[in-house]
Amino acid sequence: MTERRAARVGLIGALAVVVAQLCVGAAWSLTHDDPTTIELTRNCLVRERGFVVEATSGDAVAESASGGTLRTIVEGNLVTVSVARSFAEVERLRAAYAGSDPGTRLDVYGRYVNLWLRDPSPTQRQGTYDCAY
Amino acid sequence: MTARTERPVVAYRAAVAAVLAAEAALLLWNAWRYDWLRGYDAFANDQYARILSTDYRLPAASESGSWHTPPLWFALAGAGRRAATSMGWEPVQRPGQLLAAAAGLAVCVVVLLLARELWPGRRMLHLVALVLASASPALVRASAMYHPETLATAFAAGGVLVAVRGLRRRWNPLDGVGAGALLGLAAVTRLWALPVLLAVVVVVGFDAWRRRRWAAGAALLATSLVLLAPWLANEEVAHGSALAFNRPSPAGSILARRPRSFYLGPRALRVFDHPVTPLFRNELLPQLYADWWGDWALTWDSPPPPAPGQLLPASVVTERTRQMFVGVVPSVLALAGLLALAVLATARRSAALAVLPLTAVALLAAYVVFTVRYPSVDGDTIKGTYLLMALPACCVGAAFVVDVLRPRGAVWAVVTAGCLAVIVGVQLPFLVL
Repeated sequence: MTERRAARVGLIGALAVVVAQLCVGAAWSLTHDDPTTIELTRNCLVRERGFVVEATSGDAVAESASGGTLRTIVEGNLVTVSVARSFAEVERLRAAYAGSDPGTRLDVYGRYVNLWLRDPSPTQRQGTYDCAY
Repeated sequence: MTARTERPVVAYRAAVAAVLAAEAALLLWNAWRYDWLRGYDAFANDQYARILSTDYRLPAASESGSWHTPPLWFALAGAGRRAATSMGWEPVQRPGQLLAAAAGLAVCVVVLLLARELWPGRRMLHLVALVLASASPALVRASAMYHPETLATAFAAGGVLVAVRGLRRRWNPLDGVGAGALLGLAAVTRLWALPVLLAVVVVVGFDAWRRRRWAAGAALLATSLVLLAPWLANEEVAHGSALAFNRPSPAGSILARRPRSFYLGPRALRVFDHPVTPLFRNELLPQLYADWWGDWALTWDSPPPPAPGQLLPASVVTERTRQMFVGVVPSVLALAGLLALAVLATARRSAALAVLPLTAVALLAAYVVFTVRYPSVDGDTIKGTYLLMALPACCVGAAFVVDVLRPRGAVWAVVTAGCLAVIVGVQLPFLVL
């Protein structure tokens, strides 16, 4: 076995691994639509965190969020999660909620505007941050 | 030696010195500037070091999330912490970071020595291995953190070097003691050295059986066990398992603990588009690749705390995406190198050549078992730095493939050096804090 031959075998093996991984990625991309942000969040909350998720109702502000909305309970605290599509919309949602003086129950994290039923604990907040995309 | 033959030797020495000096400056600069609290497990590590250096005891599980990590680095960082406290030097964690940086530089030196030991006359091979190690983002990042990973890697690589040297030359018991001591010290720094130690023991044992000379292998095993056994015994007695981790392993079959996406990595292509958390979280290969070449968890030169992906400054994502493209060729070469060394070692029945690929395979196998055994929702058990001990094998392997397959001649040597310069140059904005 010459060194050159061993190097060629190694290179072919390495390229085979890379090509196989790229094929899996390409096949997945072709057969799956990219989920929306709210779908990613819903899947994460249900599959990775084990929370029960339901549709938001009776909250006109959340229902106006262009990125969608959902409700879930994190460690006994109900939270309404709304997803905005721009910073301007984040500010609009925040301002709309501010009228009812929610204080620390209102938590803005990136494009996520979360309204908690009671003041959230750090771990409750983290429960939603972990599923923010 | 004539002037004609002397010139390349001088150029080689100058290049090695320049790379090592630049690497020392880079690691020192980064360790100085990096916020110690942003590194992996930083707070838990500091609690451990503080308790060890002030109370002279190991921390309880409730006192530090790093309680399952062996104590050597914490003892050293704790001593530095105490000295910094007495001198009023802030932050007191800085000596620990400088220790990690010094260990990172030592890893680069050992990679160079490994390449020289295996192929003494091939200077371009040595330089390629050295540059690839020095510009490895996982090593550079770990070298700035308040974390034991680089020290363990330096000890483990040193142990592998002594073992390779012994296997290539005439093994004597002193070599065995040296290799065993270094690998034992690595294992009492991070338990990731255990698979490396096992791989070396297997190769050395095989070589000893073939030659019917057992003294060096026995010395290696005995020395490493003397160093490691007290820690393993303590863990068994105090926590019920010699290999205890800071969270319980879920019940049920180990095969059912990870979904198929963990093994297949279906979102692999997103690596070249948005290689940061939380995309492809808990997909083993994409997350590992993104973290090795970039900064998947956003702990490096990005605004803390990590914000949801689409609100990150565009430059943060762009820089990490560029890293993903840079990493393709070196990654393919590293994998090719490991395979090539394994093939060559098998064909030539060379124990010295077999050590490097076998340590990498053993580490990877142990790591996969670990990540499957302890699944985590936030993907925190998938980190490039966990596999740092495979770096010497990967760099030497990649350098071997480059050196064997590149055309000969001065022009091609310059082209190879140019390619290396591009790989380093493109990465500099990411690597320098």
